[in-house]
Amino acid sequence: MGAAHVRMPESAKRGDVIEIRTLVQHPMESGFRLDNTGKLIARHIIESFDCTYNGREIFRARLHPAVSTNPFFTFYAVASESGELVFTWKDDQGGVATATSRIEVV
Amino acid sequence: MKQQTFQAGRRDFLVKTAAVSGGLVLGVDLSGVVLAADGSTKPEVTHWVVIQPDDTVVIRIARSELGQGSFTGLAQLVAEELECDWSKVRSEYADVNEHIRRNRIFGSMSTGGSRSIRESQEYLRKAGASAREMLVAAAAQEWGVPAAECKAAKSVISHASGKSTTYGKMAAAASKREVPKEPKLKDPKDWKLIGTSPARFDIADKTTGKQIYAADVRLPNMVHASIVQCPVFGGKLKSYDDSAIKDAIGVKRVVAGDDWVAVVANNWWRANQALRELRVEWDVGESGNVTSESIMTFLRTGLDATDVPVARKDGDAQAALGTAAKLIEAEYHAPYLNHATMEPQTATAIVTDDKVEVWVGTQNGEATIAAASEAAGMPLENVIVHKMHAGGGFGRRGPHQEYTKQAVWIAQKMPGTPVCLQWSREEDMRQGRYRPVALVKLRAALDADGNWNAWHVRQADQSIFITVRPSDIKDGIDPVNVRCFQDNPYAVPNFTDEYAMRNPHVPPGFWRAVAHTHNPFFRECFIDELVHAAGKDPVEFRRPLLKGKKDLGVLEAVVKAAAWDKPAPKGVHRGIAVVDSYGSFSAAVVEIAVADGTVVEVKRVVVALDSGYVVHPDAVIAQMQSGVIWGLSSAMHEEITIKDGRVEQSNFSDYRVLRMSETPKIETILVPTGGFWGGVGEPPIGAVIPALGNAIFAATGKRVRSLPFKNHGFSYKA
Amino acid sequence: MPLRHSRIHDIHVASRRRALQALAAGACFFIARPATATPDELTAALRETFGERPITRGKVKLTMPRLAENGSVVPVTVSVDSPMTELQYVKSIHLFAEKNHLPRILEAQLGPYNGKAVVSSRVRVATSQQITAVAVLSDDTLWSAAVDIEVVTSDCGL
Repeated sequence: MGAAHVRMPESAKRGDVIEIRTLVQHPMESGFRLDNTGKLIARHIIESFDCTYNGREIFRARLHPAVSTNPFFTFYAVASESGELVFTWKDDQGGVATATSRIEVV
Repeated sequence: MKQQTFQAGRRDFLVKTAAVSGGLVLGVDLSGVVLAADGSTKPEVTHWVVIQPDDTVVIRIARSELGQGSFTGLAQLVAEELECDWSKVRSEYADVNEHIRRNRIFGSMSTGGSRSIRESQEYLRKAGASAREMLVAAAAQEWGVPAAECKAAKSVISHASGKSTTYGKMAAAASKREVPKEPKLKDPKDWKLIGTSPARFDIADKTTGKQIYAADVRLPNMVHASIVQCPVFGGKLKSYDDSAIKDAIGVKRVVAGDDWVAVVANNWWRANQALRELRVEWDVGESGNVTSESIMTFLRTGLDATDVPVARKDGDAQAALGTAAKLIEAEYHAPYLNHATMEPQTATAIVTDDKVEVWVGTQNGEATIAAASEAAGMPLENVIVHKMHAGGGFGRRGPHQEYTKQAVWIAQKMPGTPVCLQWSREEDMRQGRYRPVALVKLRAALDADGNWNAWHVRQADQSIFITVRPSDIKDGIDPVNVRCFQDNPYAVPNFTDEYAMRNPHVPPGFWRAVAHTHNPFFRECFIDELVHAAGKDPVEFRRPLLKGKKDLGVLEAVVKAAAWDKPAPKGVHRGIAVVDSYGSFSAAVVEIAVADGTVVEVKRVVVALDSGYVVHPDAVIAQMQSGVIWGLSSAMHEEITIKDGRVEQSNFSDYRVLRMSETPKIETILVPTGGFWGGVGEPPIGAVIPALGNAIFAATGKRVRSLPFKNHGFSYKA
Repeated sequence: MPLRHSRIHDIHVASRRRALQALAAGACFFIARPATATPDELTAALRETFGERPITRGKVKLTMPRLAENGSVVPVTVSVDSPMTELQYVKSIHLFAEKNHLPRILEAQLGPYNGKAVVSSRVRVATSQQITAVAVLSDDTLWSAAVDIEVVTSDCGL
């Protein structure tokens, strides 16, 4: 798995709803593509993506082969307290990518 | 008829809500009244037809005019049922942006596969009939008489009582009426316009030089761009050094992408000259060592493979071949070919912060609007597409829209400035979407009486679908590539067709007639080998095997027209072939003389076509003539070769095509048997190449099994 | 163009029969699975996920472009009309395709902590078809929206 990127505000007022944009590099090989001799290329995809906020889960997604290469997700969260958001992607071959982001809530 | 004129400002089609008077509600919340750029209202009588007060009938065309005549033929389909005055009909491209806003109301805009007429004919004829019924009903209502008592002809509605009015006067009222669901269509025997050849809307301007193509668009402050993409397919741009052109006259800027770099200047010549002086470095990627020879080796693994998908299996070809009285085997091959459209790939674009406007000669307005939208990162509704008549399409300008995207990306760097991107001829030659390579091994059995009772085909070739429609590939078989074999018309009891996909790195595309440019050559020339092994006549050999098939009808037509049953004149040798494709049936006889055993002179080509119906006979004849030229050109001359991972050819100097002076006498026979709608653009091509190959054998005793024939020492006399 | 009626409650028998015929005919070298799922498989997937619970059109907005050039990267936004409070929120969002290789595209779990029930991603659309989004609310009701997408390159050549 390649680089993971997160874009979200560094600070917010308590109760604000913030937008979180995420991207991770991964081929998301569907398992339905053919190689150059017409044979199937083995599946290799990210299957799960989740986000915790100071340890509590605030987003979880199950990905199937129809999610595009370099999975991109945007979701929202209520800025409740200062702390750390941890993003984790796991693929079907044991690959794991993580990213973290701090937020100051005033 | 003139197409669109370009003023300094932009043209916007605004579709008002139903609040505007004279609106026609179509089941979605949009009115039938369209505002013209000058603010006048033009009542729609169905979304296909706009009738102006002076009885001008504007018919919307969803497909593209590529020189094949659809701008006129599609209008004939509507006008036949509409019963309007043809002299006041003009065609206009359905606006692509409006089409999206109205939920794809004009249906498919894809122009390819010889489908424009046959795919549209039912709904266009219904549109014409519905519009006629709406106009008549509006008049009948006004007069207080039954609609059944009214007649409509040449844009005039009349009643026995002497009342009379015109379409122009009734259009507004008609546009408010509900569109009939199932209007009555004429019986083909009652057609008055379909089957005739009125002056085409495009030819006069194209002949006088008035026709505007994408590169002719002139907008204020316009700049021009020339581009070079990585010559090795799949490679990337590493770096470029523009120090040599920093102070070049007229050069505005350099723009680069993942695998391309372009120079923008105040005219194209300066842009292209500067581009040549740009020092560009490419990371050629994995395919820098690929050659035509290594590609052939790769294809050959498909002939040798053991576990290969089966496209068709009748009886037991393996057993029958094992016990054959006579076994014939051969390998045939065809190379990459370029579309080489007369107009190189060109697109003009303007990008602002909330709008994209493009001018493109496209085979599919929807492909262009989707490509421009994705390139700009803007919603479809913010994209305006001006469809231009294309300077040749042939399959190059439909699914492949990279020039559109490039123009948008360059224009994004100069917001508000129109950018005309035109590929040089060299770039067009080297960045094609090529007719793919193909290699095939054929084996057939003749019994003791010389009857053909079994054959086995192993195909090894490159899939196009895998790049544009992968979801249509089932079990490793590209459904287009197996045509001509898998769906062959010959009643031979034992037949196996196996398909081994082999995809080199060269990008493939739909080249006019696609698989029917090489598979018919493989098949009909191989059958000729069987014919000669059996000591029979090619027509006598085929007749019993085509019993009951429409293929026989066109075969008999060329036999008669070419006097095949009589000996050829002294020094003249003939070949024959029959091929069905795209819903139609075609046959050809090619007559040649050969001097010194190598100089081929094509004296005459006789080609027959059964397309079921014929809308515009002159246009169909032109398609048959151009189909013959297309076939002869690739049979004799055309070849794209690969070295160091890149295309070797650069221009018409080294990619030879048929010249006008080399065009032989062509006799066309239309044999429309009715009852079905077959294509016309591609079907005439299939039989031409094998007929020439068979004529060469008849003349010289030499069996050529690969294209082009020039590689076998044959040259071509004008 | 005629308005599409809801496919969710339809059962298509014809396509199942066609699929079985294709399997029976001729020696096919490789049958991993049919190249595209059928509306049958979509119905089965919905039943597997949601049982027999009724799915009602409404509350969900599914935003996707009407046309996609080749369908490999199609932006999608699902947004559900919900206050996202402790008492009333969206529990999950599910995205389905009727003609992809597999009917499921993605599922996302949400809660009041999200503040807005909006999820965006980029997905693969194999061919022209209808895409459906289903939202499960905290009161266990199911709501849906569907859009038609034309994949332009799937209508070419031939």
